[in-house]
Amino acid sequence: MEQLLVPMICKIDKVIQETPDVRTYRLKFKEEGLMEKFNWMPGQFVEFSLLGSGECTFCIASSVTRKGYFDCSIKRAGVVTADIHTLLDEGDEVGIRGPYGNWFPLDDIKGKNLLFVGGGIGLAPLRSLIQYCIDNRNDYKDFTILYGARTSADMCYKEEIKEWQENKSLKVILTIDRPEESWTSNVGVVPKILEEVVKPEIANTKVITCGPPIMIKYTIQSLLKLGFADKDIITTLEMKMQCGLGKCGRCNIGSTYVCKDGPVFTNEQLKKLPDEF
Amino acid sequence: MSVETIVTDKAGLQKFYEAIIAKNETYAPVEKFGKYDFKLVKNLSECDPESPIAKTMSAKPLFFPRSAKIMKYVATSAGTDVSETDEDPLAGKRVIVGMKHCDARALQVLDKVYNWDFIDTDYQKRRLNTVVISTRCDKAETHCFCTSLDYDVENLDAMDVLIVNGNDGKVYIKSKSEKGIEFLNSGVTSHTSRVTEEAAGEELKKQYTAFSASFRLKMDYKSINEKLSKIFDTPEFENVSSNCVSCNTCAFVCPTCHCFKISDEKVKDTGVRYKSYDSCNNGYFTLMAGGHNPRPAKYRRWRQRAMHKFVYYKERFGENLCVGCGKCTTSCPVNISIFEVINQVSK
Ligand SMILES: Cc1cc2nc3c(=O)[nH]c(=O)nc-3n(C[C@H](O)[C@H](O)[C@H](O)COP(=O)(O)OP(=O)(O)OC[C@H]3O[C@@H](n4cnc5c(N)ncnc54)[C@H](O)[C@@H]3O)c2cc1C
Ligand code: SF4
Ligand code: SF4
Ligand code: FES
Repeated sequence: MEQLLVPMICKIDKVIQETPDVRTYRLKFKEEGLMEKFNWMPGQFVEFSLLGSGECTFCIASSVTRKGYFDCSIKRAGVVTADIHTLLDEGDEVGIRGPYGNWFPLDDIKGKNLLFVGGGIGLAPLRSLIQYCIDNRNDYKDFTILYGARTSADMCYKEEIKEWQENKSLKVILTIDRPEESWTSNVGVVPKILEEVVKPEIANTKVITCGPPIMIKYTIQSLLKLGFADKDIITTLEMKMQCGLGKCGRCNIGSTYVCKDGPVFTNEQLKKLPDEF
Repeated sequence: MSVETIVTDKAGLQKFYEAIIAKNETYAPVEKFGKYDFKLVKNLSECDPESPIAKTMSAKPLFFPRSAKIMKYVATSAGTDVSETDEDPLAGKRVIVGMKHCDARALQVLDKVYNWDFIDTDYQKRRLNTVVISTRCDKAETHCFCTSLDYDVENLDAMDVLIVNGNDGKVYIKSKSEKGIEFLNSGVTSHTSRVTEEAAGEELKKQYTAFSASFRLKMDYKSINEKLSKIFDTPEFENVSSNCVSCNTCAFVCPTCHCFKISDEKVKDTGVRYKSYDSCNNGYFTLMAGGHNPRPAKYRRWRQRAMHKFVYYKERFGENLCVGCGKCTTSCPVNISIFEVINQVSK
C-alpha cells in the first residue's frame, strides 16, 4: 500500500465548456464535511484522476474565498485530458489529491498595484488569485488584467470576464492574435499589447503572469524591457509532474522540486535554476 | 545497554544465521539463474548471505517495491469505490541478512527524500520494523568505489548489526544501534564470548585496512563534486552518453534511484493503480503534453543522472545519491560506468 498516493473522491457539480478545448469542472468532495476542511492558497494545484485512465496535474482555478467548491479548468492536451473531456460530466466522480505546491506570495503583493498577464489556459492559475484579490480588494491598489487568446472563441471564463469588466475597480484589457469580425478590443500578441496599450506603471507594481511557454518567455522579455525588476515578475512554471509531493523526482530542475518549491517562482528565482526548460 | 561485539568462528556464524531465520521473518539473498535477489527464507540452505555485490540485486525493493499497488477501485456509473489494497507484506517486523554496507548506506540516503515534508509513512514503517544486518566486504569487486565517496563506510546509521570476517579466521558480530543491541539479546545467539569494543577494535581495524587497500577505483570526492557543479554545459556529456540505449537498467538496479511513475490498469469496472520504478534516462520522463520536453536528448538525461547523483541531491539533502556499489555498471548492456562518466566529464 502507498497511502500518500491514494486520492479522495470528488463529485462533479457542474461542467462549463469554456472554449472548444477547455472545460471547467466544478468539484465537491463526496465525503461529508471534507469540503469545509479543504483549504488551499491561490497558485496551488491538485492531482486529478479519472480512475482507469490516469492522473494529471491541474491548478485550482478558483479561490478559497468562494466557498463550497473548487474548479479545475482542463485543456484537452493528451491521453488523459482527452478521456476527461469525453467521459466526465455532471454527477460523475473523480479522484483528487492535494492541495500541493507553493502559492503566490500574498504578503509581497499586499498594498501593491497588481498586473495580471494571462494567455489561453494560463488564466486558470491567475483566476484563483484574481478572485482572491477581488474578495480582498482593499488590500491592493490598481488592479489590471491583460488577457490574450488566439481567437475570441479560445477565451476562457467569458461570463466572469464580463463581471470583471463591469467591476469599476478593475481594468480589463483583452486581446486576440488576429482580427475578427465583431471583435472590438485589441488585436496582437500579449507582449505587444503590454508594451503598446497597457503601458504599466513600474513602481510599486507586481506582475503575475501565466500562459503558454512561448508567451511567458516574450512577456518576461517585455516586462524587463519596460523596467520591471526580476523579483517583481511572478509566474507559475509547468514541469511534468507525477506525485506532486516531492518524491517521484519527475519535476526536478537542479536541486529544486517544482512541485514543492514551486510551481510559483519569481523571475529572480527562475534565473538561478540550471537552464533546462 | 552498551555496544558489544560477539566473537565467533565460521560455524558460529552459520548457527547465528540459522537462529535468526528460525526466530524471525528473514530476508536474504537467494540465487536464481546465477543472480541473487533478497527473498523471504525459511532455511539457511536456501540463501547465501555472502553473495557477491555484482551478482546481487539491492535490498531496495524491500522498502520501495519495483511495482506496488497504490489502491484498488471499482468505478461504475453508480459511483467510485476506492478500497485500500491488501495488507502491506513489507510492513511487519523482519530482519535482512546479507546486506552490504553500500546497500545499508543507500537506505540512509533514501530516508532523506521519503522523510521530508510529506512523510511516506509506508516506507517509514518498513524501515522502522526492519533490522539491517550488514556484512563488511572482504575485498572490493571490480566496479566498487564506496570508499571514495562522502561517507564513512564504517559508521552507518542504517546498519543495526555489523558482521566482519576477521583476517584472523574469527568472525566479529557487532551491534551498531539500539535496535541492533536489542536484537542481539533476543536469543538469536548463545555465544557467551562477548568482548568490548576495544578488544575487537584492533582486528576490525586490520581487516578494514586490507579491505580499503583492495579498491581498483579511487577518486577524490570533494573535487569531483565541486567540478561537476560548475560544468553543466560541458560537451563531454555527449561523448560519455553516446552509447546509452536508454534502457533504464542502471536505475532499476541502483539502490538509491527512487523515481517512479503512477499508472492505472483497468479491466471493465475494476482497476488497480500502481507505483512503479521509472528512470530519468527514459526519453519520455519529462515529455509533456503538447510535445515540449526539457530533456529531449540522451546527453541531457545522462547529465541529469550524473548531476542528481553527485550534485543536486547533495545540495538538497546533504548526501551523495550514489553509494558506489557499481551495480549499474555491472548491469549496463553497453558498459557505461558511472565512475568513468563523472571522472571523464570533470577532467
Ligand atoms: C503545476 C501545473 C499546473 C497545471 N495546471 C493546468 C490547468 O489548470 N489546466 C490544464 O489544462 N493543464 C494544466 N497543467 C498541464 C496538465 O497537467 C497537462 O496538460 C496534463 O497532465 C496532460 O495530460 P494528458 O494525459 O492529457 O497528456 P499526455 O501527454 O498523454 O500525458 C500523460 C501523463 O503525463 C503527465 N503530463 C503530461 N503533460 C504534463 C504537463 N504539462 N505537466 C504535468 N504533467 C504532465 C500526466 O501525468 C499525464 O497523465 C498543469 C501542469 C502543471 C505542472
Ligand atoms: S549509481 Fe550505480 S554505483 Fe551509484 S549507487 Fe547507483 S547503482 Fe550503485
Ligand atoms: S543501463 Fe546503460 S544503456 Fe541502459 S540506460 Fe543505463 S547507462 Fe543507458
Ligand atoms: S512531481 Fe514528483 S517529485 Fe515533483
